[in-house]
Amino acid sequence: MGMDSENNNLSRLQCSYASLDEAFEIGKETYRGQQYSHIYFARLHLMRTLLYSLVSQWKPQTPVCTVLGLEEGKECVIVGTLYKHMKLKPCILDEYSKERSAVPLAKPHNFMHDDDYLVLEDESGRVKLGGDLISPSVFVTGIVVALHGKETGAGDFSVLEVLEAGLPPQIEFPLKSREDKYIVLVSGLNVGNSNCNPLQFQLLIDHITGHLGDEKEQSIASQIVHVVIAGNSIDIPRGLTNGQNLASKDLSRIAEPIKELDILLNQIAAGLPLDIMPGPNDPANFSLPQQPLHRCLFPGSSAYNTFRSCTNPHSFELDNIRFLGTSGQNVDDLEKYSDAKDKLEFMERTLRWRHIAPTAPNTLGCYPYTDKDPFFIESCPHVYFVGNQDKYESRVIKGSEGQFVRLISVPKFSESGVAVVVNLRDLECHPLSFGTQFSS
Amino acid sequence: MASVSGSMKGFYRQKKNTTKSSKKAPANAKSDAPQLVSHADDDYSASEAMLRQFDMNMAYGPCAGMTRAARWERAQKLGLNPPQAIQTLLNSGKVQSESLWDGRI
Repeated sequence: MGMDSENNNLSRLQCSYASLDEAFEIGKETYRGQQYSHIYFARLHLMRTLLYSLVSQWKPQTPVCTVLGLEEGKECVIVGTLYKHMKLKPCILDEYSKERSAVPLAKPHNFMHDDDYLVLEDESGRVKLGGDLISPSVFVTGIVVALHGKETGAGDFSVLEVLEAGLPPQIEFPLKSREDKYIVLVSGLNVGNSNCNPLQFQLLIDHITGHLGDEKEQSIASQIVHVVIAGNSIDIPRGLTNGQNLASKDLSRIAEPIKELDILLNQIAAGLPLDIMPGPNDPANFSLPQQPLHRCLFPGSSAYNTFRSCTNPHSFELDNIRFLGTSGQNVDDLEKYSDAKDKLEFMERTLRWRHIAPTAPNTLGCYPYTDKDPFFIESCPHVYFVGNQDKYESRVIKGSEGQFVRLISVPKFSESGVAVVVNLRDLECHPLSFGTQFSS
Repeated sequence: MASVSGSMKGFYRQKKNTTKSSKKAPANAKSDAPQLVSHADDDYSASEAMLRQFDMNMAYGPCAGMTRAARWERAQKLGLNPPQAIQTLLNSGKVQSESLWDGRI
């Protein structure tokens, strides 16, 4: 447990760390006016090669053909990118439509409609998908799948079965008997928001750094080896960022949240390694992959080598256990265009589709890569987390080749006061909640 | 307003096509200043023709918005085995580095 019995000094446990964010850093890419056809080509090619190898075991007798090579009535397997036609999806051209009232009003949080249909597309062509066995509410634009079925007289492809890529191969979970080591995941600090109670986060910092509680509690805190902040750490008042010239007193109001955050993070970084990821509201670029928050925003904390500013999505290894996480944009976008029983189900689907953000670039901002798709998941993580969600949820999913993944939905700390603690020994996790209300 | 004097034919001034021989191969057209400029008769060499075939080949993905060399590198990286001859041609530097759609779409 790291206790020095002679003079009762507790020392914090350590763990090895390796960052795997290189694929998400935009250093060598150049923008020369390219559009998104290239990233879709890279995605289709990568996944089709993979699916072809799986199809030969899935349907060994059925021929594989391209969309243009479909013959009516002949059973075959086709592989391509799904496109979901959605009636309610906002389209810029609707502004020019003369019959604006003809389109039903869309709910702002979900654009699904019973009339949505799926289309499969490859380089040769596209075909509308029919049949009851493929439900548009589960799928979104941008996923690459293999379909077994046949073309009907009407020109649709009637689907009999769908093959997804499935969970990617996973490196072995290090099983040697080990001590309890914990990683804390937190997101949605929203420092600077008028509803955010700074005392809650200060309590969390004090707990992690061992300034709270008696020896027993401090010894628990000494087992915390890493902290990851998954996005939306600051919340600059909206009225200040709408492009108007600011009075001098407002200028300092813009910088206040980030200065306050730096002071808070300084306390954590002084004690243990800290990763901070950008989120949708943070001062980072808009499209995925979001680049690390700049060091100049954290003059105090970035002096420590324990402070790491990371990309979103963020992939890293702690003691050979692989973590993958995002600040929530991928799952939030899936929620607008498809249906699932909970956020963890969306997360599970992204793993089974082997793609972190299939709706990028269709409805989720994304960099126009020309020769790769960095959101393709090559190696299955052991822990997959998504930040800025409404509540804490977690479960373990298993793959067909023995993979297992701990899925974690990390809630917004400023609203819930809940952070998540994961034990590296067995991937058990539990919420850590902080309340500052005094009961009357 | 056209002048009332003078025939209608004068109003629509016509120029006689003064090219000497009408049966010309397209390769010689540029020396005659034809009235209509036809893009189909752009003078391009055999190497450019080969590169255009490379641009149009669907197997290597979209060509618009990237240089031919970058597209060849991508095809190589994705394991599509693009012909080495194309890369040699591109490295020689005497050919157009952009795809045929560059500046047109």
